[in-house]
Amino acid sequence: MNFLNDYQLHETRRHFLGRAAAGVGGIALASLLNPKLMAAAEAQAKEPQWRGVVNPLDFRPRAKRVIYLFMSGGPSHLETFDNKPQLAKLDGQPMPESFTKGQPIAQLQGAALKCLAPQHPFGKYGKSGQEMTDVFPYMQQIADDMCIIRSMQTEQINHDPAQTYMNTGTSISGRPSMGSWVWYGLGCECDNLPGFVVLTSEGGGQAQPVSARQWHSGFLPSKFQGVKFRSKGEAVLYVNSPPGVSTEQQRDVLDAVQKLDGLFDETVDNPEIATRISQYEMAFKMQASVPDLIDLSDEPQYVLDMYGTKGADGSFASNCLLARRLAERGVRFIQLYHRGWDHHGGVKQGVATTAKLVDQATAALVQDLKQRGMLEDTLIIWGGEFGRTPMAQGDGRDHHIRGFSLWMAGGGVKPGITHGATDELGYAAAQDPVHVHDLHATVLYLLGIEHTKLTHRFQGRDFRLTDVAGNVVHSILA
Amino acid sequence: MVNPAVPAFLPHAAIEGRRETRLDLAQWLTAPENPLTSRVIVNRMWKKFYGAGLSRVLEDVGTRGDWPTHPELLDWLAAEFRDSGWDVKRLVKLMVTSAAYRQTSTASKELREADPDNKWLERQSTFRLAAEFVRDNALKVSGLLSEKMGGPSVYPYQPDGYYADCNTFRGPLIYDPSKGEDQYRRGLYTFWKRSFLHPSLLAFDSPTREECAAERVVSNTPLQALVLLNDPTYNEAARCFAGHILKEGGATAADRITWAYRQAVSRKPTAGELSILTDLCAKHLKEYQSDKDAAAKLIHIGLAPPPDGVDLSELAAWTSVARAVLNLHETVARL
Repeated sequence: MNFLNDYQLHETRRHFLGRAAAGVGGIALASLLNPKLMAAAEAQAKEPQWRGVVNPLDFRPRAKRVIYLFMSGGPSHLETFDNKPQLAKLDGQPMPESFTKGQPIAQLQGAALKCLAPQHPFGKYGKSGQEMTDVFPYMQQIADDMCIIRSMQTEQINHDPAQTYMNTGTSISGRPSMGSWVWYGLGCECDNLPGFVVLTSEGGGQAQPVSARQWHSGFLPSKFQGVKFRSKGEAVLYVNSPPGVSTEQQRDVLDAVQKLDGLFDETVDNPEIATRISQYEMAFKMQASVPDLIDLSDEPQYVLDMYGTKGADGSFASNCLLARRLAERGVRFIQLYHRGWDHHGGVKQGVATTAKLVDQATAALVQDLKQRGMLEDTLIIWGGEFGRTPMAQGDGRDHHIRGFSLWMAGGGVKPGITHGATDELGYAAAQDPVHVHDLHATVLYLLGIEHTKLTHRFQGRDFRLTDVAGNVVHSILA
Repeated sequence: MVNPAVPAFLPHAAIEGRRETRLDLAQWLTAPENPLTSRVIVNRMWKKFYGAGLSRVLEDVGTRGDWPTHPELLDWLAAEFRDSGWDVKRLVKLMVTSAAYRQTSTASKELREADPDNKWLERQSTFRLAAEFVRDNALKVSGLLSEKMGGPSVYPYQPDGYYADCNTFRGPLIYDPSKGEDQYRRGLYTFWKRSFLHPSLLAFDSPTREECAAERVVSNTPLQALVLLNDPTYNEAARCFAGHILKEGGATAADRITWAYRQAVSRKPTAGELSILTDLCAKHLKEYQSDKDAAAKLIHIGLAPPPDGVDLSELAAWTSVARAVLNLHETVARL
């Protein structure tokens, strides 16, 4: 089956009426009485802007958009957000076998398992007294905005499958990522940028590759694939007119193409031609909107200083600023990858170095959104694909999936709380575990989507982001 | 120890006294009494020429697939293919010389509404060309296409620094665009960097080859428009196409546009189409006559030398016309 053709067939006039009757309610009825309104509704259907299949929403939305700060490589929860004094006491001692027996392990297979004390001192910050280490001097200042989950669990112990799991809810490739599901479900609020944008940066540790699979639309129509903007130079490839062609001349050529396609469509009446005409319009708008997005000259100096960036230099800091600009422009799902948290060795210095690259800009993003009144409907997620072992790997830590930390802020989560706990050595989630499926269910809930209802039929069955699992974590909702 | 075997519920002649080999598997797959292999191949070939399989789900003709629209035809073709000794060329010939294949793709509104998926094949299907063919087609129309076969991979123009984002442990890869004829080889020969393939192939839904794809999705995105409008490959093709239009298309604007249409979409333009492109050409001719620098930039995109004895501004203006024609839905679709 050709999914896109299938989907486009649903955009024929007949189907539009059917969909409008189910979704937009009054329009269909009104249009029977008023042909002008029908024409307006049809024109809407041909817009490049996708309005989403979850219509109306299942719940009152707490968040309108998501900014997901993906800490690629697996940040150590034991050097960041999960304070384990007992682990310090056992430093250098054998890890009790009761914890590790029969559990999956990545690179420490066959090695003697010894405890490694937390390498950075913890403190309590903000009115809420949220615990974190001194590697985050800036994030300490937003402690009262953060909802820290200390009981995350995943099922994949190597980077690529674990990232795939975190993004798509399965390690099997070919499934849509969360950003694609959200764009497909909710549509986009802007008509000149894609609904799902990805930016990457690196530094501070072994930079594991990140595959384009992480923002793929899988079996959803490919127009919902995340668009990776390059964080330096031309943000979108081929976004500039060719040499010797002015903007006006580009518009002339585009006008001619649209008119000729329109004339041809009159004879063949193919919905794909209408889509192509609207995508050419979007392309032309992107030729202006993308350079405008990355031109930071309208940002005052104090904002650049707050993020700690001089401009679009490919750093995490400049990506955070771009994330805010994308959010302001109505992009639904923005995902930033920082590759540099894979600290198999030298975890003390490694975590400190990587933290320094992300700390200030992360805090600035939260504060900046807050002062613009956007934090209340923007959900920030900060976390990696897994955590790291309480056991030493030399002076580092190995991959670890049974318990790790992640935090969220804004968009309907309770600020200034810590949810869940690992056992006394920080090995496994012991209290209120939050599985990746639960996280996905919660994120969709915050966006107004019932996760069991957002489905897409593929290979004979209905698939969803949470597959056959997932529970909304109600206790962290504001 | 697990020995190679066919799942127990499937019929299989027992092989005694030795471990089964890949040859046994191949023979089992292609045994004359196994109808599935030839049925699957025939169904996939059908999709290439008719836009959709006789059974719509190509990767699964079993319980999760779709019942074929024409089961007897599928079975007859499968038997025919098997009995011919698995002769692919014969199968293709059989399909493309049939009455069903040679139908027009235009149909009345009533017919389209009665059968929106064209399940009953009362017309030919239309679909956008596959990624490689979009480029092959532009190169062919502009006279640049090399028909050389085989040999090592080639490197069409790719944006500078594209591989800088390709985060291998080895560091950035170097990409050197091919010179001469190799720049204009068919898309089939383009160098594949898995998960980081050429951005214009990617925009037109070429799979990244991270996993097998029995069927490609067919999307329609703004990135495709950006590729066709701005990728130097298509602009070089447009300016070379413009050179041919000027040299071979006749003397008047109408003759030239008609010639261009015949090259690109195999038909004559309507009066309305002629007037849109005539106006475009006239406006840009005026503009490029007063801005020769811009004209020079446009007609020097890519490695191919511009034609001799042609006015620079005129060539640039006709490049605009050629760009429009190469961007038409009709040009990138099989109708």
